Amino acid sequence: MDFITELASPIIIGLLLGGLYVVIALGLSLVFGVMKVINVSHGALVILGSYAAFFILTQLGIDPILGLVILIPIFFILGILIEKYLLNRAVKMSADAALIIAFGIALIIQNAIQIIWTPYSRSLLTEYSMNRIQIGEIYIPVVYILDFVAALVVMLVIRQFLLRTYLGQAITAASQDRKTAELMGINPTRVYQIAFGLSMALAVIAGVFFGITFPFDPTSGNALLIIAFGVIILGGLGSMVGTFIGGMIFGLSQTLGGHFFGPTGQLLVPFIMVLVVLTIRPQGLFGR
Amino acid sequence: MTDEVFLRVNNIETYYGSLQVLWEVSLEVKRGEIVAIAGANGAGKSTLMNTICGVLHPARGSIEFENKNITHLNAYDIVSLGISQIPEGRRLFPEMTVLQNLMIGSYDRNARANKEKNLARVYELFPILKERKNQIAKTLSGGQQQMVAIGRGLMSNPKLMIIDEMSLGLSPLIVSDLFRVLQEIRERGIAILLVEQNVWQTLHEADRAYVIETGRIVLAGNALDLLEEEEVRNAYFGT
Repeated sequence: MDFITELASPIIIGLLLGGLYVVIALGLSLVFGVMKVINVSHGALVILGSYAAFFILTQLGIDPILGLVILIPIFFILGILIEKYLLNRAVKMSADAALIIAFGIALIIQNAIQIIWTPYSRSLLTEYSMNRIQIGEIYIPVVYILDFVAALVVMLVIRQFLLRTYLGQAITAASQDRKTAELMGINPTRVYQIAFGLSMALAVIAGVFFGITFPFDPTSGNALLIIAFGVIILGGLGSMVGTFIGGMIFGLSQTLGGHFFGPTGQLLVPFIMVLVVLTIRPQGLFGR
Repeated sequence: MTDEVFLRVNNIETYYGSLQVLWEVSLEVKRGEIVAIAGANGAGKSTLMNTICGVLHPARGSIEFENKNITHLNAYDIVSLGISQIPEGRRLFPEMTVLQNLMIGSYDRNARANKEKNLARVYELFPILKERKNQIAKTLSGGQQQMVAIGRGLMSNPKLMIIDEMSLGLSPLIVSDLFRVLQEIRERGIAILLVEQNVWQTLHEADRAYVIETGRIVLAGNALDLLEEEEVRNAYFGT
């Protein structure tokens, strides 16, 4: 019995944390699914979101989660502009060009953040940052629960959008067969712009929830990008259920790895899982 | 059925890079007609279809639909004018259901208003699609996929449907059924431009036909007359 109670804490924390990783991974997954581009600037964009929230928190006193009401539209529009003026030309040239441009965007963002806010790490500190709730003998930080709830809400909204709106179905169709989508009257340029805008909206949401959970600095985006890759490889592309399961596995691997093997396990076990899945089922657990 | 010509292709020449594929190709389609383009594999039929639908653009010549010049329009703009292309190989959205594939056919703003009515018509023509509306497209048989492809094309409220190699990979029985549906579609006033390797059956179903060989139109006329033509019989039927 003690064994079970001992594991209960890392399991619950791992699952909740997995929610955060799902939100981080969704933006990357969307862009790759629709535009077939690996957006290596995604991690930097998420951290940009964390810093944007930091700005409105420290300068305007607005709670980061509430601040999303302003931040989401701003990032969405920014995403459309980045796609329209930077990425679109690169995507037309080649996949390599798009990769390089995305990398350049990441570098610019990372260095701009460093200049504006210094390399020292920051945090989104709110009244509830230190709160925990107690279930039996387990203590769960409130922010972890918020992360998980955010993941559920985001997944639900995206799913409804993709399934129930013409635009959402157009994006889905274009990601499966771009040329035929054109024959339906779907303008692929417009689809790409909306998809990238959505990806940036997801990035700022991920940035806010990451920022209330962990401290961050200008280089944090790199680790996030790698986590996002891990989640997507585990769960497979093209399936939101897959991304969710991938996130859960990643989070659990971290906490259970840390529980059994210490800090090294926390870093290593998730990526061992990724390697295992890559070997036995390369398309991911739910990939097509 | 009026005699009005509404699609006019005038002397188009299309290239793949520097390779010329179509030479001085001209054809017409009148309202409510079924026109066939027959030719062997590689004769240029698909290139011709892709050029008319805006997937490719001709280097020379013009294409007019209802007196509008559509030569350089993009594929996604041509749908709203009333031309629907059923591409070669069906090309359904593989992970989407039958219903989703049909509904995305009504994406065009002009078609959205009629989506319920058009869907009912599609189910009338293909009752099996209603039974299988939640089935994932890639799990359907070839014949069923072709039904969805035609149904999806109908959802955009077209005046002209361009169907590329409908009979490819399908059994003669299924192809006959599909041709019956095409006749019903024609009864509703929709013109059909058909591209086929299956010359024999096609010439029995179409009103007029063109024969294309290595990128040129070599014969044109009433379908039944062409069936009797010496050249056609020699080339395609070995008689």
